[in-house]
Amino acid sequence: MYGKGLKPLSIATVVALAAGLSLVFFYAPNDADQGFIQKIFYLHVPLAMVSLVGFIVGGIFAILHLRSGDSRWDAYSYVSIHMSVIFGVGVLITGSIWAKASWGHWWVWDEPTLVSYLIVFLLYATYYPFRYAIEDRDRQARYASVFAITAGAFVPLNFIAVRLAESLVHPRVFATTGGGLPGSMMLTFLVCLTAMALLWVTLVKLELTAKSASGQVKRLRRALDAPPAGTRSRVAPEVS
Amino acid sequence: MPALLIGDPALPLDEAGKYVAGAYIVFVVLLVVYVAIMAIKLQRIERELRDLAGFAEQGSPGTPGQGSPGTPGREAEDVPTIEEGEAVPGRGSEDQSISVSSGPSASGGGGV
Repeated sequence: MYGKGLKPLSIATVVALAAGLSLVFFYAPNDADQGFIQKIFYLHVPLAMVSLVGFIVGGIFAILHLRSGDSRWDAYSYVSIHMSVIFGVGVLITGSIWAKASWGHWWVWDEPTLVSYLIVFLLYATYYPFRYAIEDRDRQARYASVFAITAGAFVPLNFIAVRLAESLVHPRVFATTGGGLPGSMMLTFLVCLTAMALLWVTLVKLELTAKSASGQVKRLRRALDAPPAGTRSRVAPEVS
Repeated sequence: MPALLIGDPALPLDEAGKYVAGAYIVFVVLLVVYVAIMAIKLQRIERELRDLAGFAEQGSPGTPGQGSPGTPGREAEDVPTIEEGEAVPGRGSEDQSISVSSGPSASGGGGV
């Protein structure tokens, strides 16, 4: 069920990534200020945006889980957060490389954008030990959902707080006044953002498919180990 | 292609190149590592399915908890899975699975 549409989605992701990379290196001009280093922008910023949106999506799935009680939403929430954390690792590493090349330091502690993202990342890094410290599975799912909602609400608040903070180090390239990207750069950026979003969706779907398959195997094993007909089955009815 | 790479002004072979290459390589490596982990997981699922198919064909199910000779204690390694059906009590980090059912959970759901 989870694997449905995975193949066309994968193909679309590969095509979008290839198109994005082609535009980055053969179409978008070098930045007048930063030069060739600015090419990292097309990787780093989409990764960051998709990961942050992924955290929020995880929170939305968690709301759906708490509202419906359907643990499928909990699985969606878990996988969304899991994938966003992986993307977050990419954001931090590529950001550090860009910082080293542009500012001469791997990390700048007085830059609100960097530190706020690190705080969000570390917050979500605690999701795993928090979740698996709880033994009872229903309680585990409920508490994890509460965590996902709270942390998901923190993400946009954090973003707004950083936007309100004045900083001259991290440029605001999407500002409506006094900045902005030229057309060719904006097109390249949008293609890269789309590619990264597609990659996130594809990997989430792949992860869900693998987990579902693993769950089905366990279920099958239990069915084969089940007592003979006439006794009460340990296996719940098939999910439609 | 090499002529294009040399001639294109968007690819200068200066100091900046190694940082840009480094960033993109990190991304590719992350992706490859993730795909490799998923491939290992899928191989394990395939192996377990083969074992179960063998059991089913023989008509003699394995002993509960023992599994097949090739997969002793496999369930403890599944981190985490989506189990459809029975909500088995969680076992912490030993068996970190996410149960999935079609309806509301036994705990009633909807509230914390």
